[in-house]
Amino acid sequence: MSPIRILTAVPICDGHDSAINTINLEFIRHGIEVIYLGYHRSARDIARAAVQEDVVAIGLSTYNGGHIEFFGEVVDLLEQRRLAPPIKLFGGGGGTITHADAQIMYGHGVDRIFFAGTPLEEMVKYLRGGYGDVARFPYELAFAGSDQFLSRQLTLADNGSGLPPQASETASAASKRVRSTKVIGLTGPGGAGKTTLIDELVLRFLHSHAADRRAAILSHDPSIVGSGALLGDRATMIYSQHDRVFMRSIGTRGMTGGLSLSTDRCLRILAESNLFEFILMETVGTGQEAIPFGVDRHLVDQSVLVMPPDYGSRIQLQKIAMIDVADVIVVNKADLRGARTALTEIESRIRTNRKGQSLLCTQANRHRDTGVDQLFELLFTGTGTGTDTPK
Amino acid sequence: MTPLGQVVLAIEEYRRFVVSQIRKARTDHEFGQQILQKWQEAKARIGTTVTPTGLRLPRLALPDLDEAGEIARFLCEEGLPGEFPYLTAAYPEQYLEPAAINSKENENRRNHEKPFIEEPTRLFAGLGLAEDTNARFHYLSRNQRSKRLSTAFDGPTLYGVGAAADGVFGKIGEGGVAIDTVEDMERLYAGFALDQPNVSVSMTISGPAPILLAMFLVAAKHRFGPDVGPKLRGTIQADVLKEVQAQNELIFPIEPSLRFLADMVDYSSREMPRWYPISISGYHIAEAGATPVQQAAYTLSNGFAYVDYFRNRGLDVNVFGPRLSFFLDCGLDVEYVALARVCRKIWAIGMREVFGGGNRAQILKLHTQTSGRSLIAADWHNNLTRTAVELMLACMNATNSCHSNSADEPFTTPSEEYARYAAHAQAILLEESGLFRHMMNTLPGSPGMKVIGNAVEEAILEEFREIEQQGGVLGAVERRYQRSQIQASGHMLENQIYDGVRPVIGLNRYFDQGRDWPEVRMMRTQKEQKRLQLDRLQDFEKRHAEESERCLDRLSEVVDNGGNVFEELTRTVEHCSLGQMTERLCEVVGKFRPMV
Repeated sequence: MSPIRILTAVPICDGHDSAINTINLEFIRHGIEVIYLGYHRSARDIARAAVQEDVVAIGLSTYNGGHIEFFGEVVDLLEQRRLAPPIKLFGGGGGTITHADAQIMYGHGVDRIFFAGTPLEEMVKYLRGGYGDVARFPYELAFAGSDQFLSRQLTLADNGSGLPPQASETASAASKRVRSTKVIGLTGPGGAGKTTLIDELVLRFLHSHAADRRAAILSHDPSIVGSGALLGDRATMIYSQHDRVFMRSIGTRGMTGGLSLSTDRCLRILAESNLFEFILMETVGTGQEAIPFGVDRHLVDQSVLVMPPDYGSRIQLQKIAMIDVADVIVVNKADLRGARTALTEIESRIRTNRKGQSLLCTQANRHRDTGVDQLFELLFTGTGTGTDTPK
Repeated sequence: MTPLGQVVLAIEEYRRFVVSQIRKARTDHEFGQQILQKWQEAKARIGTTVTPTGLRLPRLALPDLDEAGEIARFLCEEGLPGEFPYLTAAYPEQYLEPAAINSKENENRRNHEKPFIEEPTRLFAGLGLAEDTNARFHYLSRNQRSKRLSTAFDGPTLYGVGAAADGVFGKIGEGGVAIDTVEDMERLYAGFALDQPNVSVSMTISGPAPILLAMFLVAAKHRFGPDVGPKLRGTIQADVLKEVQAQNELIFPIEPSLRFLADMVDYSSREMPRWYPISISGYHIAEAGATPVQQAAYTLSNGFAYVDYFRNRGLDVNVFGPRLSFFLDCGLDVEYVALARVCRKIWAIGMREVFGGGNRAQILKLHTQTSGRSLIAADWHNNLTRTAVELMLACMNATNSCHSNSADEPFTTPSEEYARYAAHAQAILLEESGLFRHMMNTLPGSPGMKVIGNAVEEAILEEFREIEQQGGVLGAVERRYQRSQIQASGHMLENQIYDGVRPVIGLNRYFDQGRDWPEVRMMRTQKEQKRLQLDRLQDFEKRHAEESERCLDRLSEVVDNGGNVFEELTRTVEHCSLGQMTERLCEVVGKFRPMV
């Protein structure tokens, strides 16, 4: 059975995340998949993310007032989408939401307000009862091209995966199809800065490409079958909360190697939608052995390995399998001590590989970083765009 | 080693110094005699006071010591109030009634006349539009000789987004005052003589602090002329690091945020010498769940990191050092018996030994707020008692100014009624009760206070060592160290309340089943007011449409050229709104990427 999937967030101009952090952990502990959007998020960002993630419900934690208007705005935005089933909205705000407020909010379509002193168990129980068995069907074709249509396809693909994908679904199908969408896979150890790097690449995409061009992000987070997970990459992304970006977070549900059983199918659905110029796929933080996109890189058009400078010794570096496979290797966090050493060591390694791999040095957490500019040039404006050249 | 590591060494060295002084006082006869004489002189200087009941007391209580070693220990470890290491108090007399009030020649004075001392009372207020908050300020300070205004801003202002931004309409004027333009700023403090020494203004804002202070300065110039800068008294929070660690109200990335801050400190040290351009804050760290020791350790280490940063910018520690101020939370945990005292001592030693700060730069000047987190919705009148106890702890620690929370804060921005009770609680403690008005050291000095203080000091040093291990404060911030510790403590706290390990009266103990939801008067901003704010903003932007783009371009240039951004902002604010300025600055320096 697929887990209950919800989105949590703190409204705009509010940074009170202490309660939501505690509540997120409690939800996860009870088997719920939580996509955390973070604090200071606008109603549009929240509604968009909820639709793209195809969650059953949104939980908002608010502490500095304006909740009647804000919750109402989220409900309105969701209603405009004519979702089936509708995404439920619940929330709390300690003592700041009165019973009278709650009545107004219920009248506006809010599903449930938890008042001060509600035990966490009671919230979990409510979620289980109210949001546990929600049937999902594909949207009608009239919705084709909309985020919810696509997002539901992804849900069905993700949940339908009891078995490993057939061979025909992997190597051949994805790579042989003529694509107008370029798929870029980013992998690397946890903490290398993949998410930040993707967000910075998206910012450059938004600036440099026409306003009708969109990009998609498929982001993986580790999870275990039958238990909850925190899918938290969205929380640190600033620029990717945008109408021109479709982002989907998937839990690996026990699969090792950096991806999920349904990755293949999800990628195909995204590519076939023909809605996106680029798809950026982020793996979970990987180990030395991981080759998530396959040795022949059949899943992606271009693969990027993002490394922190502190991978250990030269011998540790030798063990990282992906260095022999990636098209582009990025040493991120160039400001850290050891970045020079890393560059030198990796450079000499790829020179012996003789595979024409590129090596770049970035500092993704710096605004207008020229290393990220170069990476963007290489990935987004290079000759690889929209090709069907077999690798 | 970062300066924080040096602070640890300096504290350890100071402990050895104390031991050596004690030994010397006992073994070196001449030195012992000097100590005894110094002690006698100090005692002789203490004036006397007569209580309303006729009891004669010294204005400062000192322990009954006649042995040179023990006297040396007292002088080195605690010191007299207002003397290094400032354990007891930053200043010699703090809350005491002026001596003149007690003397014979003043006995005829009308007894209801309040003595002219600056009350520590500084109540935080902010609601609705500028004129609503202004009215609250006038109400709160109506009986005060010193008008100590403290400003809470609404969410959109704290995040630097304009009232017109997408989806913020509901937040306008909620939980604080809405300020979009320099004109709002003029309305906010209307009727207060900002150029007079008995008026001071505090602004609790960090992300867009330089913009808000520039607005304040320019608004004051409009009202009191171009030379008002040096007369302005007050504080702006501007604490970048605690935003990253706990409060999440940062707009720009850390690096440019620190640079804008340093620009502001540089400018205000020169042009606004009576202004405190930063309030190094533990309050929000504690409210986010930190233990008292974590609060103290992170706040102090943040403070040292700022000093290091400003010093590296070429600023003089003896110019900006005395203009640093601190802000701590005071809750009900036992550490609060001595927490602020220990902070003063560590700060004094660090500033003197590591940064070469003179006397004035060594003093940790402290604002305290009672704990908002300790207040609960259940049986909420108990909050009056909680606040009273916390207030007493804060005064025992000789805080320089204080905000006491209103009992209705779990529900709403304080109503006038409960804000009045909160203010009166301070007056009852400091003026009506005899605890603090007659004598310094009435309560400090108990064995318990000492034991707690020592334990807290050691625990703070342990935190310092951990932070140092991670490359100092900024290194630890990058590794999310402080943030992770605060969150873990917050989680533990909630679990303790849930499990009943931590008693909360009316919640997990002595609760009455089936109590109705209380009738609390909610302070809300009406739709019409919100719309008015929006109209005013749009009107301002329209009137300045011609100049604003040019001003923003010049601001961008200054940022890129490395000029003083604050100085430029004092020109930009004349024609641009808060939202316009933040948006432009974000384009140039980027946005803060949230840490979760």
